[in-house]
Amino acid sequence: MHPPDEVLVARYMESADQAAFSTLVNRHQERVFGYLLGMVRDREIANDLFQNTFVRVIAALNKDRGTYSVQGKFLGWVLRIARNAALDHLRARKKWQDVSPMDGEDDTSYWDRIPDDGPSADVLIQRNEQADTLRTCIEGLPLEQREVLLLRHESDLTFREISELTGCSINTALGRMRYALINLRRMMSATVIKDLTEVSE
Amino acid sequence: MENGKKDILLHLYGEASSESDLRSLLRDEDLRKEYTQLSEAKFRLDHMDKQRPDQAVIDGILAAAASEAGLPTTSSKLDRGPIARHPQLKKVLIPVLSIAAAIVFGIGIGWFGASSESVSGDFPQALAEHENDLVPPESLFRFVPSRQGGLSQVAATDPRLVWDDSTPLHQVQRRIENMRPADLLDWGEKAVPLEALPSSSRNRFRTVGSNN
Repeated sequence: MHPPDEVLVARYMESADQAAFSTLVNRHQERVFGYLLGMVRDREIANDLFQNTFVRVIAALNKDRGTYSVQGKFLGWVLRIARNAALDHLRARKKWQDVSPMDGEDDTSYWDRIPDDGPSADVLIQRNEQADTLRTCIEGLPLEQREVLLLRHESDLTFREISELTGCSINTALGRMRYALINLRRMMSATVIKDLTEVSE
Repeated sequence: MENGKKDILLHLYGEASSESDLRSLLRDEDLRKEYTQLSEAKFRLDHMDKQRPDQAVIDGILAAAASEAGLPTTSSKLDRGPIARHPQLKKVLIPVLSIAAAIVFGIGIGWFGASSESVSGDFPQALAEHENDLVPPESLFRFVPSRQGGLSQVAATDPRLVWDDSTPLHQVQRRIENMRPADLLDWGEKAVPLEALPSSSRNRFRTVGSNN
């Protein structure tokens, strides 16, 4: 009942089947947009990047057909375009921190590498909604950890697919994911403890 | 990263190879503790709400897809891009457009006022020129049928006109009649006896249905 991505892509490329393309967009919009939003941390910019990504996808499918090879990995291909768009944006905003893979990924380096322009601890604690707090904590993660976490949880990629997309080894992807989870848990716990302290006072 | 920590992470996400046994890994206390902590964080992430782009973005993409494929499109919401991409532009553009709109509005009001004055000044004269055109034709008048014989004779010599209210010409005629006194009288002037007015002007005060 649910045709695979490659069937839908072929229908759009060969017979301009709009319904097929619409199904593709609807099927993957959350995976692509969730990744973009987590990366740029601004909904309006994420909307623009999402739009740019699919405009490039459309152009590639209609004109530059050589850029898309049917390998059963439509989502991975779209995410590669989305990632390039996101990194271009972050570089333009000079928020991209070029950190070598697994370079000092220990407890100390994490706190040193939290972006200065990120939300402060006070801001984090003031947000009582758990979901908002979780998203805020994710935003506070270093970019390379945040990216792996988003690709795994928002885009549903496997660690092997993440390593292929980001150009790192699977061990690196796993290491970043592990630190992302540990740091998230710490940040959430710190928020809860501080909330309880304020209530008791 | 140690193989044990790597393996429990793969188990946590259901990507472990078949030969890796989670039960044997969790016999190690440190690994068991880490597995619990990672599970706790993953649980929260698994229950995080999914985010979607704005519907206008989806509509624009589908319109672009149809356009690229040579199909007719019903919307072109891709225009939203540049404004949204340049928040600075949005900040500048909105005040500039507001000021421009206010200037155009002001000019329009001024022009309208000037043209209104010229029209109102010429209106009585123009009305007088076309007075005959605005009088309803005779076919619009009819005599009121009399119930008594005495009155029927009076009606024959002094016809009382009954207007057909559905006729637009009647409405125009009624407006003309209402405007005639305003045309001749000025509130600032002293009162003038009717006899002092020229006979042609006096005749213009006749009301509809008068005997003169």
